[in-house]
Amino acid sequence: MSAREINVKGRKVTLIEEGTGEPIVYLHGFADVHGVAGDLLAFHRNLAGAGKLIVPAHPGCNGSDELEDGYSVEDVVFHYLELFDVLNLKQFTLVGHCAGGWIAAEIAVRHPERVKKLVLIGACGLFVPGELIEDIFMHAQPERGVDYKTLRNVLFSSSTAKDALRYFPDGRGDLDEETRRYAMLRFGSFVGFKPPYFYNRSLINRLHRAAMPALVLWGEHDHMVPRAHGEAYAKGLAGAGDLQIGTGAGHAAVLEGEAALSKAVEAFFKA
Amino acid sequence: MLSPVQLYCWHFMSYPYLPDDFDETQETGWVKVPNTLWDRQRSRGLYRQYIDQLAYASELGFDGMVLNEHHQNIYGLMPSPNIIAAALAHRTQRGKIVVLGNLLPLHGNPLRVAEEYAMLDNMSDGRLIAGFAPGSGPETFNYDAPSAVSRDQFWEAVDLIHRAWTEPGPFAFEGQHYPLRYVNPWPQPTQTPHPPIWIPGARSRDTLVQIAKKGYCYFLSSRSHGKGTANSVAQFGRVLEQHGDRYQPYRMGILMSTYVGETDEIAQKESREGIWYFLRNCLKGHQRRVGRQLTFGPGIPYIPTSEFRDYLKNSDPTQPLLGDTEDWDDLQRSQSIIVGSPDTVYRRFMDILEQAPVGHLLIQFHMGNMPDENARKSMRLFWTEVAPRLKAASGKLFAEQFKGMEEKMQLELTK
Repeated sequence: MSAREINVKGRKVTLIEEGTGEPIVYLHGFADVHGVAGDLLAFHRNLAGAGKLIVPAHPGCNGSDELEDGYSVEDVVFHYLELFDVLNLKQFTLVGHCAGGWIAAEIAVRHPERVKKLVLIGACGLFVPGELIEDIFMHAQPERGVDYKTLRNVLFSSSTAKDALRYFPDGRGDLDEETRRYAMLRFGSFVGFKPPYFYNRSLINRLHRAAMPALVLWGEHDHMVPRAHGEAYAKGLAGAGDLQIGTGAGHAAVLEGEAALSKAVEAFFKA
Repeated sequence: MLSPVQLYCWHFMSYPYLPDDFDETQETGWVKVPNTLWDRQRSRGLYRQYIDQLAYASELGFDGMVLNEHHQNIYGLMPSPNIIAAALAHRTQRGKIVVLGNLLPLHGNPLRVAEEYAMLDNMSDGRLIAGFAPGSGPETFNYDAPSAVSRDQFWEAVDLIHRAWTEPGPFAFEGQHYPLRYVNPWPQPTQTPHPPIWIPGARSRDTLVQIAKKGYCYFLSSRSHGKGTANSVAQFGRVLEQHGDRYQPYRMGILMSTYVGETDEIAQKESREGIWYFLRNCLKGHQRRVGRQLTFGPGIPYIPTSEFRDYLKNSDPTQPLLGDTEDWDDLQRSQSIIVGSPDTVYRRFMDILEQAPVGHLLIQFHMGNMPDENARKSMRLFWTEVAPRLKAASGKLFAEQFKGMEEKMQLELTK
């Protein structure tokens, strides 16, 4: 693993790279590298076995600079296009989780020729009537000032899951991790704070443009993004098969369902 | 000529008819508090009662009446303070009408605020004090104003309104959030160049810098007073000096809450129920740890990440808030709600002024489900038996502390 800072049009971006070979870009979510953890997790390390893994931190997250005040998801998409230019990435595999999955989908529909394969894990980004994405901002306000039970339940299969308690403990957590959590919520507020949260109404009708081979994965107990969103992605992306369910995992399947998830992604890469 | 403290009556207009088991059965008084609890029959005449209390303050001689904006909660039933202000403009003949304030990011187009405030200034013959606020956590959730974006939006809206009142129209406003081809509001305000502008703030230094630069009045959003208030005065003073200005009391206001009775014992007896109702119910979800507090925190990420990190380092998430107060004596020690005889209340108000020379005291008399006659009695005793002494003593205090600034203070007050 090597973390470094790169400069994208005057903006500082924290970047972690691991492995060698064909480039794989990973865009993170909340309970994830950069979203709470400072380093790659087991899932990402496995991913790096399949190529050169490139993991940028979203604007404002884990040391990356924020974009100009009032930025939107559209600005983030162009931020990443500029980052790809800086890294001279012409074609790559794109993997995204949660809000990172949304941004990955936005990039794929705009530049399908650059995305060789697409993997979405518990991705938000779609407007699906009657299927509200959970209000993570409300849950991020602790009860009694210290109790993050409902936030853990949104992000994981249950509030008592091991990784949930590790990364979102009650009371004051590790200062760096709490700061990263806050920064990710701030990023989320810029791009996604519009009820029912984290969506672009136009995206669903654009998905057909992304015809590259695609894999859509969902935690069995995703309490943040309803499974109907996964089904809509699997249906809308021309190159996707059926939605695959990570048994026992919650929204943060990259943490909770890591082994099964790694296996599914490996099989998809080999196919 | 002495320039004494200015005394205003602030009414929050809380919902007073909650069931007795509210605290046991409801997790919050804000945003998600079910409106099936609203009693349509009992609530008839409630606004009239509250408006009459404010008008009574004007008749007694208070320097002004204060209103503010809240949404979907039991703490304050004024989604549109401008409607109450319009009623007061006609119902009263004297006293400032302080709207503190309109929550700008919640208004689709701030030009509407410029227009309504200009109407109010005309309707009240130049008595409006124009408050602007960005809104805090509950409003973020209520009106889906992205908290990280709304600060930026707020200052752009303030700029637009200020210019709409002071620059010849029509002109084009090339804003990021509110681009407008024609800014040309009719009417224009009565006051020249514009009604005094007050802006609330608490944690952000950036807010103080903006207030200092623009020459506005700073309202400290805090219900507890003492050292923190003195620190805020000192901090604002430093910021003013960095911008070539100097602190004087009329640049700053604070919120106080009080109940005045004939004796300490009577005051306690008469106010207890309303105060506990206010603390337990109205502050639940706002300034109380029990339940989910929606006013500040990681889910409302409006301050930059580096500032939040400092907050994490220097704060204790288990520290009780005002609404968590268990004990009456603790409450009295916290300087948040001052209850007592005229003498007690006078001494405790002066104690705060001696620590923090603030020129505008915005005082809440009605709390929670306090009966009309108690609120009025407390206001009357305050005005007749506390205010004259406060005015005399504060005038002397300010004259000693702000020598050479008398003219500036007079100007600030009459501008």
